[in-house]
Amino acid sequence: MLHLEHIKEEVIGMSKITGITKYREFRTIIFLIIIFLLVGIVNSDFLALENILNSVKNSLLYIVLAVGLTFVLLTGEIDISVGGTLGLSAAVSGVIVRDGGSIFLAIIVAIVIGALIGLVNGIGVTKLKISSFIMTLGMLEIVRVVQVIYTDGKWIENLPANFKQISQINLLGMNLLGIIVILAVIILHLYLSNSRKGRYFSAIGDNEDGAILMGIPVIRYKIISFVICGISASLAGLIFASQVGFISTTAGLGIEMTVIAAAVLGGVSLSGGIGSVVGAAIGAIIMSSINSALVFLKVPAFWNATISGSLLIVIVVVDVLIFRRANKKAKKERLNARVLTLKEEV
Amino acid sequence: MKSGMLKKIPKWNLILLLTLVGEIIIFGLINPRFWNLNVLLNSFNDFVGIAIIAFFVTFVVITGGIDISGGSIIGLTSVVTGMLAQFVGMNIWIAALLAVLVGGLCGLLNGVLIAYAKVQAMVITLGGMLLYSGIAIVLVGLSGTSTYEGISGFSQEFINLANGKILGIPHSVILFLVILVIAYILLHRTRYGRYVYLTGINQNAADYSGIDTRKIITSTYILSGLSAGIAGVILTSYLGSSRADFGAEYLMPILTAVVLGGTLITGGKGGVIGTALASIVVGFLKLGLQMGGVQTQYIGLATGLLLITSVAFLGVPGFKSKVKRFLTIKKDRGGNLHA
Repeated sequence: MLHLEHIKEEVIGMSKITGITKYREFRTIIFLIIIFLLVGIVNSDFLALENILNSVKNSLLYIVLAVGLTFVLLTGEIDISVGGTLGLSAAVSGVIVRDGGSIFLAIIVAIVIGALIGLVNGIGVTKLKISSFIMTLGMLEIVRVVQVIYTDGKWIENLPANFKQISQINLLGMNLLGIIVILAVIILHLYLSNSRKGRYFSAIGDNEDGAILMGIPVIRYKIISFVICGISASLAGLIFASQVGFISTTAGLGIEMTVIAAAVLGGVSLSGGIGSVVGAAIGAIIMSSINSALVFLKVPAFWNATISGSLLIVIVVVDVLIFRRANKKAKKERLNARVLTLKEEV
Repeated sequence: MKSGMLKKIPKWNLILLLTLVGEIIIFGLINPRFWNLNVLLNSFNDFVGIAIIAFFVTFVVITGGIDISGGSIIGLTSVVTGMLAQFVGMNIWIAALLAVLVGGLCGLLNGVLIAYAKVQAMVITLGGMLLYSGIAIVLVGLSGTSTYEGISGFSQEFINLANGKILGIPHSVILFLVILVIAYILLHRTRYGRYVYLTGINQNAADYSGIDTRKIITSTYILSGLSAGIAGVILTSYLGSSRADFGAEYLMPILTAVVLGGTLITGGKGGVIGTALASIVVGFLKLGLQMGGVQTQYIGLATGLLLITSVAFLGVPGFKSKVKRFLTIKKDRGGNLHA
């Protein structure tokens, strides 16, 4: 009986914690709305539907990257090679369409590149047991050089109009790519939160040894997460090429840090197990909206990094403090309850 | 077991030393100019900043943390030095000193948030990285100077700080050695250094034995920030101008020096001698490749591979057993608990 009570209390404690994690995403959305409202008070044009749709369109790149990265972060690893993957796949597929190749081929090639880079990362991290931070940092450097060698250090320009057009197609007034990405985010969210295999990712990040004991193929799922991250980075590369219309050798330089920051802002924990793709996507919208918000506020653009940096620090610190306090409280209640049941038994 | 592991570190240093000798011989055979001592000593100018930061990032990594904000602190301190000296009209040495202290403040912020608020080091230093370089950009933006040209017009005395020589030895070499000695004594010859190791090996045990690990952790980030401040001043002096984007590409080389130097990224083991040797190995590698006619933009391939392979080589249970496990991986399909 006592044992059962104990388990019951544990379950209550657990549900409290999941309540808090849900709260995290909720707070991110509130935060995004507050940003829009605050900027909207100063300049009401910012709240125009056109601008909101525009912000989603501008953040597509970041959303795709952040969503892919979330898979890796959920398993408790990190991938900072995404900027390199983006650049290389954009360059290779850019050359294909520039030289008259089909767009379909370019997409396939980009995906293969992303998957390969992810596979190498995944194998290095899981089988050679290299710390994922170091592995992907080294990979970032290597992939960048490969891009320079491939493009001979030149920009890739003169992409055909039909390729550039892809990012501009509108459906019912909304950007087509935007609709696809939003749908994909929702599907991936349902997969990660509701399907058995989707839950594996956060299970691994939450408790790796526990996941092994439960029979989850940890190594395979970690590699899969890196492959997914690589593929989404290469898709982001395609979006980049289509939106910008040319690919410089520095395409995607430093973007990895912005994307990690976006995921963290969206409530994804770098220690694994906590977070969702929806949160990461909202974080990505926040990060990329800072720029346009500054424009609407008539604040010089050079404030961008300061604002995003302090935003990240403040939000994460506040989050951790709130989470810890809630945890402590839950623990205390659990202890109290245990003492009470003991008394009753006596 | 433990003594075996402690023995392993000097052995790795020996390997690094041999690599260094090998590099000098091979690159010298490719281009005999590499054997000119002056060329080698002058090349310290190119990596002294990386090495100085790497010495103290080694401290941070030994405690089990990580600091990726060093490169941004370089940019910030460079801009602060320039603005205080050129716009406020302060004495350049006082300006430089204040800039180093600003670096220390950045480190303090990192350290307090990591040690006391217990937020992940990676997240805080990532935020710090954005924030510090952001402040540098804002300072440059507000002052109305061109971002590209930066602030210049420093006195010859200050320029000499990095470019001068004493008895034919470049200042950068002397600085490298002086800071190395300071870091070495702090980490390997004082009680503080032992506390740094103990914090990294087992923070709870360290706490229970009466060490204020939060203070120890914070102090390592302050040291790392101060060293980045020094590197910022040196770089400003070496290049004769202040720019916000100085140090922006230092993240990778700093971590390469630390990790290649034999410090475990998971904490608890490592040392500054290894970091020093590794930074020279990487510095000479770049120099040698450049002198061998390899374009600068391709050199990242070599350093990236070096980083990955050295970590694979130095990994926790030893590379050999890992290769063995890699080959026999099919036997334990469920993964193994020693992960």
